Amino acid sequence: MAKTNGSKSAFGGALDLSVRFCGVKFPNPFLLSSSPVSNSAEMVEKAYEQGWGGVCYKTLNSDRIAIIHPSPRMNAYHYEAKQVVGLQNVEQISDRPLKDNLADFLYLKKKYPDRPIIASIMGFSNNEWAYLAKAAADHGADMLELNFSCPHMTVEGSGHKVGQANHLLEKFTATVKNAVNIPVLAKMTPNITDMTEPALFAKKGGADGISAVNTFRAISEIGLGDWVAKPNVFGVGAMSGYSGAAIKPIALHFIAEMAQCAELGLPLSAMGGIETWIDALEYLLVGATTVQVTTGIIKYGYRIVQDMIEGLSDYLALRGIARAEDLIGKALPNLKSTDHFDLKRQGIAVYDMDRCVGCGQCFIVCRDAGGQALEWDEAARRPKLVEDKCLSCMICSFICPVPGLITHKEMPKGWARRPTAVMDKAMERQVKVPNMPLT
Amino acid sequence: MRDYTVSGKNTSNAIYNDSNEIFVYKRSGASYNLPFRTESSLPAPRRTEVFPVPPHGGKLFSEGGCRMSNPALFQTMTKGFDLAQAIAEADRCLLCHDPPCSKGCPADTDPGTFIRKLRLHNVTGAIRTIKSNNILGGACGVLCPTPRLCEKECSATGISRPVEIGRIQRALVEHGWTIGFQPLSALPKNRGKVAVVGSGPAGLSCAAELAREGFAVTVFEERAEPGGVIRYGVPAYRFDKAFLSHEMADLEHLGVELVCGTRIDGGTGARKLLQQGFKAVFLGPGLWAADRISGGENVKGVLTSVEFLAVMREERFAEIGRQVEGKTVAVIGGGSVAMDCVETAAKLGARDAYLVYRRSFAQMPAEEEERLAALRLGVHFLVLNQPLGYSVDEGGSLTGLKLVRTQLGEPDASGRRKPVPIKGSEWTLEAQLAIEAIGNRPDPADWSGLVKTDGGRLILVDETSGKTSTAFVYAGGDIARGAGLVVEAVQDGKRAARAIREALA
Repeated sequence: MAKTNGSKSAFGGALDLSVRFCGVKFPNPFLLSSSPVSNSAEMVEKAYEQGWGGVCYKTLNSDRIAIIHPSPRMNAYHYEAKQVVGLQNVEQISDRPLKDNLADFLYLKKKYPDRPIIASIMGFSNNEWAYLAKAAADHGADMLELNFSCPHMTVEGSGHKVGQANHLLEKFTATVKNAVNIPVLAKMTPNITDMTEPALFAKKGGADGISAVNTFRAISEIGLGDWVAKPNVFGVGAMSGYSGAAIKPIALHFIAEMAQCAELGLPLSAMGGIETWIDALEYLLVGATTVQVTTGIIKYGYRIVQDMIEGLSDYLALRGIARAEDLIGKALPNLKSTDHFDLKRQGIAVYDMDRCVGCGQCFIVCRDAGGQALEWDEAARRPKLVEDKCLSCMICSFICPVPGLITHKEMPKGWARRPTAVMDKAMERQVKVPNMPLT
Repeated sequence: MRDYTVSGKNTSNAIYNDSNEIFVYKRSGASYNLPFRTESSLPAPRRTEVFPVPPHGGKLFSEGGCRMSNPALFQTMTKGFDLAQAIAEADRCLLCHDPPCSKGCPADTDPGTFIRKLRLHNVTGAIRTIKSNNILGGACGVLCPTPRLCEKECSATGISRPVEIGRIQRALVEHGWTIGFQPLSALPKNRGKVAVVGSGPAGLSCAAELAREGFAVTVFEERAEPGGVIRYGVPAYRFDKAFLSHEMADLEHLGVELVCGTRIDGGTGARKLLQQGFKAVFLGPGLWAADRISGGENVKGVLTSVEFLAVMREERFAEIGRQVEGKTVAVIGGGSVAMDCVETAAKLGARDAYLVYRRSFAQMPAEEEERLAALRLGVHFLVLNQPLGYSVDEGGSLTGLKLVRTQLGEPDASGRRKPVPIKGSEWTLEAQLAIEAIGNRPDPADWSGLVKTDGGRLILVDETSGKTSTAFVYAGGDIARGAGLVVEAVQDGKRAARAIREALA
């Protein structure tokens, strides 16, 4: 277990990373998600040794329909020199016999009684959902996660097809709830517009919590020689689930949206591109109670949880916050729709010229994509800001290679931005706006 | 069609990493614009000459023991970046507005553009940018003293260190050869014949430019193989035959005709070429005779740098090995050629390799990196020692180098402080082999019958066009500017080609 769990916070109290989720206590909010990283007890045990607080075990199959994985089953999306910014997979649910997985549950519960097992299940019929739910609950699962969201099942009519059909989602949830007494999570697909809608149907079916997001249907790469999308399964490509850092901002918004939905009001287990304690913290701040990780582990191994535990502990200590649970939803009060912005307050970019290295990329982006607010001193190789042309879009600060050189500052009341220039004033006389009512 | 995979090691990450860990970097390459496959390679030592992984027991400076027993190590150069490494290095580029690097090259190389192209996965375009400006883009990538040219102004210096432009350039050119990409083409040869004398950097550059424009170019080379100074004047471990042959193949692709083993003997020979129907002649014969220390000519065991390096390039290793191995070798001079010679002597197994220079360490014209490399190899630097002559035995063989210690006095005509001999400090350094690397001069070919020279030494030209005093005769490279850089010779060739094209329009 993480040593930092026992460390003292700034005000002297012991830090507490544990969370209570759907009535089940987890030693910390960091869980393996249902995926190749939670395929067997042998693997989960290794993860536990690194400090993971629990597991959402790889989706169980009833053995009625054999599961065969495509080969190869994944493809990485690299961006510039950065590897695995995203990961596409055609991984299926567990291909192990049910009894092997259940035996592994027994082993894990015996050896690690404090780490909850969330059993992910997927039935291909109503009865099968109940069958798997009962089998899992009878072998020590503390909670169930209903996989309504795999975007690339090779078995027709399963996975996210269910997650996109609200009545099925509600029905299968109810079936499972009738079969077992343990908490039930419904796992959502992001391959829809509004996630609160299916989540509410899951709630109607009796779900105790929501987990999200499963992977996004995507095409990560197309072979330029053979014109086959990857992973190239012997000449065939397919749209399939995409995960990793690239999807985090989108996944984060889905979680926040559900957390803001008062009608839903269910605890959330979040996933999508989590690699560091900061990623995890952001999910907590928008309302998640636990977080789940796969792609981060595929990229770095189980060890990353050490840095999540230490990083989050130190954050709590530095902020003088005693419990990780106290962070849940803390960013929600400040998260509003854009009509809440105070548009009277305006600002501009500020340049700390002492640190400028003279690359001039700010000049290029401001000229080509901003407000043409920069002038370029060719001899000195330095930009000069024309303040009343600055749009405060801040793109210059994103491109600048010196961190923190360009910042945003508010301008005093009454300051006004210069209107964008018209190329030929004389042409204004030829402009004729349509003469019709606007309202 | 195969799967494209490029993999290699990202050395730029290793450089940031004090524990010397090398970050393995792989990427699938489908987003690049040509099918390619390069094998994973060993991490290229970063900037080989300066801070390589020390070859001798982890110590930065060797006390001998650097001998290369395998002649193959003299014949092949160190591997450069592979494409993945070049991409990783290019990732540090700040993609400057009005890129300062592109203003730092004597031959107008445009790194700002070719690195941007690489960054945007336009790999073939990047190769085109390099090669269409400089037919010897590969050679310059290898041999250029980039830290004081393009890399000097690099904006990334303000953040960490300059982007290694030369190494990226070399990697791109080599990648072009790997994938068989040929960015250059020539117009039909219907604009008349032009002769080029000498197949060094100036001549080859001039020939390529003219061939692309539709001239039928014949290059005359005295030696058995083309390349001039980059074939016979630098050690093969810095620039090898295989690399040169790729660069030559690009030239041949343009239809340049190469005639080796044919000496154009001075002004008379060049005039004959004009009479034979060549509409213009470009003279780029280089400087192949050596300045001498008086008396050295008749001593057994005294070589000029030209002789010494040529023996190496002709791969007469056994012969030179006998003269160097286990012996004390003194190399005289402070320039790049002297460093090449002394480094070679050390690697050949000299018991002691001395670098004798009459001025100070800081005054040496050799690149800083070259000096450090020699130090690292265990070369003894005898600075502020001026050679006076040689001691010989009865058989006329060298026994020692007579020296006098100097101290720096007032600045001389060159603006550098002048070494002044210290009276009574004469001494003799025992040595069995001395190599004089104190400067080159034109070989006996006499151009003064055809064009104006500075007293029979260098050919006088108009700098911007290579025009000599005689119509339709142009010159460039070392014969016109004195010992210079490969990249400067390239520019001379290009400028002369432009002038020839205009003159023959």
